[in-house]
Amino acid sequence: MSDIKTVLDETPFQTAGPFLHIGCLPNAINIEGIFDTDLGVKPFANKDYGKFITITGSVFDGDGKALDDIMLESWQSDENGVYSPECGFARFVPDTLTKKFNLYTLKPGFINDIDGKAQSPHILLSISSRGLNMTLNTRIYFEGDDLTSDPLLSTVRNSRNNVSSLVAKKIDEDIFLFDIFLQGDKETIFLDI
Amino acid sequence: MVEALIKRNLKTHPQLNFPDYKSSILRAPNNKKISYSSTSTELSGPIFNKKIIGKLDNDLTLNFSKNNIIPIGHKIIVYGTISDQFSNPIEGALIEIWQANAAGKYLHYNDKNEAPIDPNFAGCGRYITSSKGYYEFITIQPGPYPYPNRGIEWRPMHIHFSVFGKNFGQRLITQMYFEGDPLINSCPMVNSIPDEKAQKSLISTLDASRSNTQKLLSYKFDIILRGTNQTFFENRKEGL
Repeated sequence: MSDIKTVLDETPFQTAGPFLHIGCLPNAINIEGIFDTDLGVKPFANKDYGKFITITGSVFDGDGKALDDIMLESWQSDENGVYSPECGFARFVPDTLTKKFNLYTLKPGFINDIDGKAQSPHILLSISSRGLNMTLNTRIYFEGDDLTSDPLLSTVRNSRNNVSSLVAKKIDEDIFLFDIFLQGDKETIFLDI
Repeated sequence: MVEALIKRNLKTHPQLNFPDYKSSILRAPNNKKISYSSTSTELSGPIFNKKIIGKLDNDLTLNFSKNNIIPIGHKIIVYGTISDQFSNPIEGALIEIWQANAAGKYLHYNDKNEAPIDPNFAGCGRYITSSKGYYEFITIQPGPYPYPNRGIEWRPMHIHFSVFGKNFGQRLITQMYFEGDPLINSCPMVNSIPDEKAQKSLISTLDASRSNTQKLLSYKFDIILRGTNQTFFENRKEGL
């Protein structure tokens, strides 16, 4: 019986440090000729149909400084709310000049989970960097979608938190803004996934 | 029945806000993270095809070498298994590693240390685990290096690991240390983990017999990713 099997401790996290590009995005820092392409350059590489959107934003530290020595990873369903292991993952970094990241991807759909609950369209986003002893996780939801019955957002509301830091603002047709605040009055809600 | 990730035991993970590690002061969030029941989002995840792995991807002594010149330093083997919290081996896990060269220098524009780069060593590798969860890298023993923290301090010798298991809930980024390194005990990044046994689990052990057989110092580092439990529907009706 699996109930009585010993549960081992998970290997602890450690910071990804300031040089994470070497292992995760070598081509992006001109270490060329080892891996053909960096992982997660395009979340839906084999798709050119469906509604694509751009999500842009910055990650701010406690001094309000926009950071560029960080790595973001995203994981999402397709436009029909279906997860498939070979697509939906992206890995990206902010531009070193503008400090903004851009994620060009399919707008995810509503997800019908096996327990009968429906999740509103969202993207799971993780942030790794120097100074972060563990990778942080949050979610991007979208302004304009029905967010009333999403199970996670209900949990957030029940813990008396404001969900607004999890909702990307529509700033143009097909363009959403999602800024992340690591600390301070506007601190983003992070998730114990 | 539905699956749920085993809840993280935060005592076995580093504290986010750990002022001895200065960079954490302005980056660690102050509010408590929100816990919630696993959804299909965390229980699914990218799975990478073995086809992406090139022949030399896990040999850091050859994957950046020019004219077959071996990088300077001690050539070592780093190997181990990836399994979940119930000891089930995980096949198909992607491991990416990065590290400094023998002189403690990274091939990176942000590394300001006055140490030489090695033109034959980039310090990156990757591998996808076999059916028994096994992985193996051939590399160069990374050097320790000074860095600014509370004044100048020294990082113990280490290799960074990024791991993808079967779902996003298993995603792990960590560092592996080397048995016997006297710099481990004073490292604030290691000490940010409250549990001593958890700290020790990041230290690879020297495999004497393999080191002798293969004429390369061999270090074993096993990695444990989160497990999942079967649970009942939360909203199940009486009698069902």
